[in-house]
Amino acid sequence: MRTTLLLLALAATAREVVAQTVHATAGGSVVSVRVRSRLPGTTRAWSGAAFGGEGSLGLGRVRLTANYSQGTLNPDGGTEPSRDVVEGSAMLSVRLLRGLRLAGGPRARTYVFAGGTQRWLFWELRARAEGMFIGSAVSGHAELWRAVSTDVNVLERLDHAQGGEAGMTVHLSRLVDARLAYRIDHAVLGGGSRVETVDGLVVGMGLARR
Amino acid sequence: MRRWLAWPGLVVVACALGVGPGVARAQSSIDLLAAGLRAYKNLEFDLAAGLLRREIARLGDTATADTAVAQALVYLGAAELFGGRRDSAIAAFRRLVVLDARYRPDALIFPPEVTTVFDAVRQDTKVTLVAVPRDTTIVPGAGSFTGRVVASSFHVVEVTLRYEDGALFRRLYNGPLADSLNVEWDGLDPVGQPPAVDGLLLRVASHGSGGQPVRILQLPLALRVTHGDTLAWPAAPTAAQLLPERAAPGPARRALMGGALLSAAVVGLPALVGGTETSSGPRIAVAGTVGLAGVLGYVLHRPGRPLGGNVRANQAVRDAWQRRVEAVKEENARLLANVRLAIRAGEPTILQARRP
Repeated sequence: MRTTLLLLALAATAREVVAQTVHATAGGSVVSVRVRSRLPGTTRAWSGAAFGGEGSLGLGRVRLTANYSQGTLNPDGGTEPSRDVVEGSAMLSVRLLRGLRLAGGPRARTYVFAGGTQRWLFWELRARAEGMFIGSAVSGHAELWRAVSTDVNVLERLDHAQGGEAGMTVHLSRLVDARLAYRIDHAVLGGGSRVETVDGLVVGMGLARR
Repeated sequence: MRRWLAWPGLVVVACALGVGPGVARAQSSIDLLAAGLRAYKNLEFDLAAGLLRREIARLGDTATADTAVAQALVYLGAAELFGGRRDSAIAAFRRLVVLDARYRPDALIFPPEVTTVFDAVRQDTKVTLVAVPRDTTIVPGAGSFTGRVVASSFHVVEVTLRYEDGALFRRLYNGPLADSLNVEWDGLDPVGQPPAVDGLLLRVASHGSGGQPVRILQLPLALRVTHGDTLAWPAAPTAAQLLPERAAPGPARRALMGGALLSAAVVGLPALVGGTETSSGPRIAVAGTVGLAGVLGYVLHRPGRPLGGNVRANQAVRDAWQRRVEAVKEENARLLANVRLAIRAGEPTILQARRP
């Protein structure tokens, strides 16, 4: 599946890559993360802030995006210990139409707590729509993804995982962007016996070389 | 062989018959005038008068000065005078003066009796002659078309340019004329413009002692005004070349609709992905901010809002066009100022001839 995704992306963009200008972006963000884990008979929640950075390289219709963030999550009540969260992804995307982009790649999230480490690995397929909606100063985007392959070291079998993000980017100048978005992941495990929801507010600043 | 020799002889005869009458007429003219002059010199005045009268009748009456006619007329006058026919002599001299106002009998050939009578007739005959170049080209207002008016004797003349229907166009001179006068026309009409007609009449009216016109000499002038081709005006900027100076409703609508849609997407995202057990705080914060941005974008891009940058850009386009118009205007003024007036004089006619 992973190989197929990669081949599809390369086939769709092979002719476009030649003689294109490289577009690069880099930025940092703060994510207000809330993790909600519903198990039979109980629901646990953590919240906290994660800090990270991301960057991308674009050539023609193709773009490679990578991001990394980490932070500490504290329990919302109860006696659960705090846990650290580390997340990273690498996505290769291709622009199918003006304002519509298809991406695929791995995303990994790790919770580190006193008793051990919980790893979540998703191979995702993403669709992203974006476009200017206030002159040339503000653009909006909406993105949905779904995991096509997963690897999770929890007891329950992962049934499915999907998520999305929507927000806006203010182009402060030719180089500087500011971003505000809402993001959510939703995973169902064990035939619905366990539901993991991670959502948060993303505030970021970025530099873009267009 | 004899037949071949006969052909040239026939050609010679045919040629002689064909060209004979013309040559004979010329010969007759020379012979008549010469015979008349010979008779005059031999003091055979009656014979001379008869021969010269025949010669004059043969040459016909003409308005232009003709040396042969003039010579015949002066000798006819002298012959009539010495033949005792003073009235006939005066008539011949008057006809000569009318024919050529500049004519003067040669005092070395004719005795004072003749020249005195001729001068008396000339003084009594108020006629003029106009000499103009056949073709003249002038710059109206800068150059001039010059004609020379010669009078037989002192009298009042009025020199005018008239439309072809006789209406006055320009008066060039009105006053006494003793001998000759140069009249000039600057090529302009009464309001200082090149003439808008293609023909005028140069009219010289000779006035008698009572002020009444006794003779009118008229000369047609064919006019042709030429000037350089003017340049076409530069085309004004079209709507396609100008930017809109007022905001269209599209951007404002897009801001409002985009903000609303994006807010709805943020709010509805958990339901879409199945994660309904979430706190609404962050979503509402993002959705509210996006919605507010949409409203702000609507206000900033409200329909009809003046677009200052576009207004300035359009003004620059219009200014550039105006500068091109001014340049063309100046160039056209220069081309229009380069006007030429070509004047071609026709044959003079005597409109009204009264015996003074």
